[in-house]
Amino acid sequence: MIALKLCNEKRLYYIENCIRYLPQKAISQREFWQAGAELIGEYGPEADAEVICLALESLDKIGLKANIDIGSISVFKKIANHFNVKDIDRLRIAISSKSISEVKEIINNEEALKIFSYVIENRGRIEILENIAKMNIHELYDDINYIEKLFDIIKDYGYYDRVVIDLSTLREMKYYNGIVFDIFIEGLGIPIGGGGRYDDMMKEFGLDLKATGFAINIDLIVKLIEKIPIKKERIINVYYKEGYLEKAIDIIKNMRNKGIKCSLSLYRGEKEGILISDNIIDLKTGEEINERNYISNSK
Amino acid sequence: MKGIILAIPSKGRLRKPVMEILERSNIKIIDDDSRVYLTNTTIKGLQILSVRTLDIPTYVYYGIADMGITGKDVIEECGLDVYEIADMKFGNCNLIVAVKEDSPYYDANQLPHGIRVATEFPNLTRRFFNNLGIHVEIITLRGAVEIAPILGLSDCIVDLSSTGETLRKNGLRAIATILRSSARLICNKVSYKTKYEDIKKIIDLLVKSCENINL
Repeated sequence: MIALKLCNEKRLYYIENCIRYLPQKAISQREFWQAGAELIGEYGPEADAEVICLALESLDKIGLKANIDIGSISVFKKIANHFNVKDIDRLRIAISSKSISEVKEIINNEEALKIFSYVIENRGRIEILENIAKMNIHELYDDINYIEKLFDIIKDYGYYDRVVIDLSTLREMKYYNGIVFDIFIEGLGIPIGGGGRYDDMMKEFGLDLKATGFAINIDLIVKLIEKIPIKKERIINVYYKEGYLEKAIDIIKNMRNKGIKCSLSLYRGEKEGILISDNIIDLKTGEEINERNYISNSK
Repeated sequence: MKGIILAIPSKGRLRKPVMEILERSNIKIIDDDSRVYLTNTTIKGLQILSVRTLDIPTYVYYGIADMGITGKDVIEECGLDVYEIADMKFGNCNLIVAVKEDSPYYDANQLPHGIRVATEFPNLTRRFFNNLGIHVEIITLRGAVEIAPILGLSDCIVDLSSTGETLRKNGLRAIATILRSSARLICNKVSYKTKYEDIKKIIDLLVKSCENINL
């Protein structure tokens, strides 16, 4: 896949079985199905917004109304570096489990503690970042602009009210470097997916290309979709009297062309459906019907 | 209220203090019957799920329970991804490594390769000894771990200790602390976002009840 000519931006997707080594959480599946989409070779809020909205739209299409919480590895690193935090990965884990007591074990600077408590306890929109900047973290200027723009574009896509900033949303820092996000659905305890920006990953393959993308857990989705009652499509039973098969075939061909599902069989006294002989009769009412009207009404 | 399930220990050392906290928070269980696992409370929409302490992170991780109260030791042992909202400051104890009193070892670093460790916490034990670079044989027990060294089942144990009384009585001596534990309020990651207002109310109630008390 990497061998593809990635000179310009590329949009890739996959639905595959993935295998992952899970050291402790043997509770999870080591092999699972995942769908993902990646936008490689583009930097900027436009690309991130496209990916985020694509994730929401794909789920909308299958009847699942999802929400997204956004965090930022860049913002997190800048705050941590501002306070010279040494064990930054341990801090990331503490923040992403919203554990203030754990954070207190890592840092003892009052000011830093105040900011990280704010990060843990608050969800909102751009004001979250602005408020942190006001607590003397001036390094966030670029990130505020970036995320503000991101939300402007998400608004244009029509998904503004489904996306929220929660800066405790964090992911593996060796892989991700910009905005990261979790995708979740009310009523399902485990986030069904997530993603983010990973500009340095492609360097491992000798390509200097920025990238962003998302992945969705198909196994979880299957479980959810199974719960949604399937709308049964109406199938119209068409019957013909002996000698009228040719006419009946004509009629069902016409119906099927118009997208109406129907079956065809010899009439043996059934009471529902339509009967083809000299004329067309609705078996339920016994009334004669006009073929053209019937087809347009059924649609 | 959207319908919230709070999982609490059905037995064990945390049961009593948790019941006390619920009472202080004015959360009363309706029709308290120890055979019923899921009960309604005087707060409309809030249900209490009584299950084993060790299972609480699992119920919360999968979103069956929205919130739970369990020990830090159990959360770390399960290793499941949940929000750890608050340290409730009761049920304090340490997860320790202990050897027989007459043992020549005074630090976990001195323990030789291949020794047997009896514990109820195989994951935390493995992680601890892996970090020290010591190969150990872990024997998982479901209780009464302190008896293992005396009977010769293991060379040392990894177990919870609050006062050290049980250790002394069984002729054991602590040589290392793996983890300091206390009761924690945990929350499902999705529930926290989708039922925020209601969950916040319960958090505030419970956390306030934990202030300035000695359980």
